[in-house]
Amino acid sequence: MNPDGARRHGPPRIAGHEAMKTRLVPYTFVAPAMLLLIAFGILPIAVALLVSFTDMNLAGLGDWSRIQFVGGDNYATLFADPAFWQALGNTALFAVIGVPSVIVLSLVIALALNRSQGRFFRALRSFYFVPAITAIVAVALVWGYLYNTQFGLFNYLLSVVGLPPVPWLSDPTVVKFSVVLVAVWRGLGLNVIIFLAALQGVPKEYLEAAAIDGASGVRRTVSIVLPLLRFAIFFVTITTVIAWLQFFDEPFVLTKGGPLGASTSIALFLYQKGFSSSQFGYASAGSVVLVAIIAIITVVQLRLRRSDVDY
Amino acid sequence: MKRMRWLALGTAALVAATLAGCSSSGSGGDSSAGKDLTVWVMGDSSAHFDALVKPFEEKSGIDVKTVAIPWDNVDQKFTTAVASGSGPDVIQIGLSKLRTYADSGALLTLDDAAISDYPNLAASNFVDGVAGDATAIGGKIVSMPWVSDTRVLFYRSDILKTAGIDAPPATWDELRADAKTLTARGDGSYGYYVPQWDSALPVIMTWDQGGEIVDSKGKIDFDTPAFDKAVDLYTGLYADKSVPTNSDFDQTQGFITGTTPMLVSGPYLAAAIAQAAPELEGKWNVTTVPAADKDTSLLAGSNLGVWGSTKNKAGALQLLDYLSQPDVQVKWYEADGQLPTVKKALEDEKLAADPMVAVYTKQLASSRLLPLVPNWDGETGKALLDSLNSIVLTGANRDDALKTLFTTTSGTSAK
Repeated sequence: MNPDGARRHGPPRIAGHEAMKTRLVPYTFVAPAMLLLIAFGILPIAVALLVSFTDMNLAGLGDWSRIQFVGGDNYATLFADPAFWQALGNTALFAVIGVPSVIVLSLVIALALNRSQGRFFRALRSFYFVPAITAIVAVALVWGYLYNTQFGLFNYLLSVVGLPPVPWLSDPTVVKFSVVLVAVWRGLGLNVIIFLAALQGVPKEYLEAAAIDGASGVRRTVSIVLPLLRFAIFFVTITTVIAWLQFFDEPFVLTKGGPLGASTSIALFLYQKGFSSSQFGYASAGSVVLVAIIAIITVVQLRLRRSDVDY
Repeated sequence: MKRMRWLALGTAALVAATLAGCSSSGSGGDSSAGKDLTVWVMGDSSAHFDALVKPFEEKSGIDVKTVAIPWDNVDQKFTTAVASGSGPDVIQIGLSKLRTYADSGALLTLDDAAISDYPNLAASNFVDGVAGDATAIGGKIVSMPWVSDTRVLFYRSDILKTAGIDAPPATWDELRADAKTLTARGDGSYGYYVPQWDSALPVIMTWDQGGEIVDSKGKIDFDTPAFDKAVDLYTGLYADKSVPTNSDFDQTQGFITGTTPMLVSGPYLAAAIAQAAPELEGKWNVTTVPAADKDTSLLAGSNLGVWGSTKNKAGALQLLDYLSQPDVQVKWYEADGQLPTVKKALEDEKLAADPMVAVYTKQLASSRLLPLVPNWDGETGKALLDSLNSIVLTGANRDDALKTLFTTTSGTSAK
């Protein structure tokens, strides 16, 4: 990526166009990825930014002359919209409960699965990965029945031990935890696989040396395995945080964001405004705010990582 | 969750930008041959519709391609079609979405001149509530009535009888009292069911109190005595503990098991009950909605519109004309169970023979459309439900909740 570096390593004096060629080589390698990133990453964000300053709706989509620039009106309305703040608050709560749960649980499961390479443990690995590859609609259907107040399994089990039924998806407070539970269950599989892969990279020699020195299993995990998993944990944290800030599928299919917006995440709020109400300008303003929030949180995480020690 | 939703939003706008640019020169619809017609019908299957238009295809030589659009995807599909300029030739439009679709400018205006050659499309043929100007947007007619749907009172005659109620409630006051009696049957029983997603119910209640939710200037106005009475009724049912409070309550199961032996719903519920519990035959019935001042109910259903940039306008209108024939409308009722909008079809003896259809037909005569506001489902109706449900479900202050409703909805144009 560094053209100067390329020149320094080349022959001391070369013809002009030769130097040019050498300088261009790295760019030709990164170009395809760059183009894709620009076309499907940067450009849509730029368009959303532009649209967020207009009153674009369905009518404007059909006939461009009906779109007007409204300046920062969309942002002013957005920040005064209680539904937006409710969605933002919900998303924060989802992330605060969901992110640590997913990371800790998937790490624990991965460590446990890594204890043996036996057939049973290999079967368990696929077992934990199944939720991640199951279609969300099927997941929603099954969990919807589990949670159902009238004939759901959970309430049946509660009734067996003599407890009153719980309104899993109807109570504005309980519903938040119900959707998070499904998402955590779904989110574990992929991260378990990532941690398992990272665990393969922990050198056996270290562990053996520690064992000979008399270190206990817990001690070896805490002092050797976990520090060596730092990068995997960091990677999983960043992707999990971003995924939870974009939390969408579970409330969308289980509750449609209800009751009374209690399980509406910020992404679901944007979807409702954009695709159900056709307020593209307004939804774009919201999406720009979401991009900004995600960018800030990710930059903070990267900064914190920079001060890290490398082994 | 893993996918980047905000990017999807931006991409949609980008696609819109790219495709709208070439729409002027692009094609209108998928009808490359000019003789084909693409029709979007709402629902999960196009099999019934294919069978319905078969005689039309044979007679006219037009190949009708039917695409079934699931109700959940309707908004997205339509948005994409408007953005790309490439829609179907004929599209089914749920009446609650009519205003949005008309405002998009994607539909062909079907004024008198456009339909003069098609006698079946004359407004006088259709039920008054949806005919002609009743579904005109801003004075322009962009759709033709297709199927109708109304709401009636479903009740379990066996359970009512056991509880000492001989006739279904004729007024909303009676309904509230009966619901209380039925709730007293015991633990886990209720008297009535209020679907928490049904924004039409409080409006029906307001109409029945002799009120309106649209003022004389054509703007939404909930701040009326009649609406206040409707709120009393709605919240009263909850205060009596006569209705279930869980949002995932299944209305069909609730009715079949007898947990909620009364509710106001549409003909589709009758079909669902008959299918799920044929053994209940004779133990339940329907009647017109309870009255207070009036017994007005909701008129819902779907219209058909022609895509503005269609290449086969004559063929599309021919198809609309065919679908408005009384015998075709009756055939559609037989195949799909949806009520006709053509008066002559409603009078057909095949329909009149069914006592339940007689109730629907009677109710259709005193049914009204929801106001044609820009976005009933997503804005006005949602605000209405949010405020009422916040009172009954989370114990929000009634005056505050209603005040929020008044301020968010007042001034919304319903014309």
